[in-house]
Amino acid sequence: MNGLPIDLALAWESLPALFDGLKVTAILTALPLLLGLALAFPICFARMSDRRWLALLAEAFVTFFRGAPLLILLYLVYYGLGQIEALREGPFWILFGSPFGCAIVALSLNHAAYMVEVLRGGLLAVPHGIVEASEALGITRRNIFIWVKMPLAIRYGLKAYQNEVVSFIKGTAIVSVVTITDLTAVANSIFEQTYDPFTPILCAAAFYWAFVNIIRLGFGLWGRWLNRHNAEDVAADAGVPGRGAALRRTSDLGQVTP
Amino acid sequence: MTMHAPAPDAAKEPGRLAITISGLVKHYGSHRALNGIDLEVRRGERIVICGPSGSGKSTLIRCINALERHDGGSIVVNGIELTADEGTVQDIRQEVGMVFQHFNLFPHLTAIENCMLAPQLNRGLTKARAEKLAMHYLERVHLADHARKYPSRLSGGQQQRVAIARALCMEPRILLFDEPTSALDPEMVNEVLGVMEELAASGVTMLCVTHEMGFARRVADRCVFMDHGEIVESRDAASFFQAPESQRLRDFLAQILR
Repeated sequence: MNGLPIDLALAWESLPALFDGLKVTAILTALPLLLGLALAFPICFARMSDRRWLALLAEAFVTFFRGAPLLILLYLVYYGLGQIEALREGPFWILFGSPFGCAIVALSLNHAAYMVEVLRGGLLAVPHGIVEASEALGITRRNIFIWVKMPLAIRYGLKAYQNEVVSFIKGTAIVSVVTITDLTAVANSIFEQTYDPFTPILCAAAFYWAFVNIIRLGFGLWGRWLNRHNAEDVAADAGVPGRGAALRRTSDLGQVTP
Repeated sequence: MTMHAPAPDAAKEPGRLAITISGLVKHYGSHRALNGIDLEVRRGERIVICGPSGSGKSTLIRCINALERHDGGSIVVNGIELTADEGTVQDIRQEVGMVFQHFNLFPHLTAIENCMLAPQLNRGLTKARAEKLAMHYLERVHLADHARKYPSRLSGGQQQRVAIARALCMEPRILLFDEPTSALDPEMVNEVLGVMEELAASGVTMLCVTHEMGFARRVADRCVFMDHGEIVESRDAASFFQAPESQRLRDFLAQILR
């Protein structure tokens, strides 16, 4: 032992494998984020629908998939669905037959359930008067949604979305229990080969940290750009406030004035 | 009892009527907000509606562009009868502009973008043409210099003038004002009233809910006094103030002109 808990030589040697693990983690983040978001929109509309049965159905979805621990959900999809013979012989077995497919399904359902509430919160925060003003201008409901409600809902919901994405990324670590070699699984296997618990696990933690913070930085820039209308010194006489000018601002992150 | 001055020649020349309201009833639950309103508005007529809070004056003008759906009676706007049909509602909203107490500008769009949105979406104007149109009306409300500012950078009076320009950009033949100066600091009231007076001189039909009695005297062709969901008195501005018939109006004027 050299006094450090980290074996630098081992850390260096492990880098390529950890990078491979990070790639898997990144894919297991990106795909469910996209699929979950796509799924969240129709479920959110159903949840906010005036038709009671539809709203209840959507609420049941949200309650179930938000309530079920991700690990249990993953076990159910991976081990449980394989028990259904019809599914084993059906065309969807390509998806449910692979651990990767199962992980994507479980993660997407979990993310969708959370995103329904994030979206709904953002949409409910849009001031009613602004929607009325759009209606009074004769803008159609569809256009009001696309051009007024959604742009504002994104601004109101951005912080909640960022939190969900960050905790989601860390949550993907559980896929190692269904034999997927993501970042955590790679670190774990190095530990099992070397009996050094610190080096691989701390390296993996550093990778997660970097990954999460790059995402956070991205959200920060996005938020500042979206909220450029609140930036204090947007110089109106300089013409259209440029993206650059807005990005230079360090304050006012994430604020929206209704 | 409802008393209203007959609109001269209206019956003989229906084409000169901008709005015909008869027997209008609106309930909120068991509360009868509008109790059989009859009102005829000629093209180019400028009407000020006043009355104590809760008298139904806002509800009345909000029924005209279907922001509130009426429960009984009929509303005909420029020859189109207002029904529950979405297409009819859209048609009427194209003819009727509205200015709200709380401005309700789109916070994420600049002043000029606020004005451009509806013409682009509803009338399919190109960006360049919409911009030209928006600039024309921003000039008319004396805000050309502030076109590229976001609402949060504008004073209340400026925001309300942008809201007026935004309504004008749809080139409506009828303008509804719902207490347009009530949310303004006193020093900003006159800049908004000034713009409204200029508009009144342009020949557009105006229905204005306001307590600005000076404005009513200078601009209104007719003043309507409402109480408890009914039109109590409706007559030309001069006799409205000098010779109010009903006790209720006399009491109201005594309070407001104190």
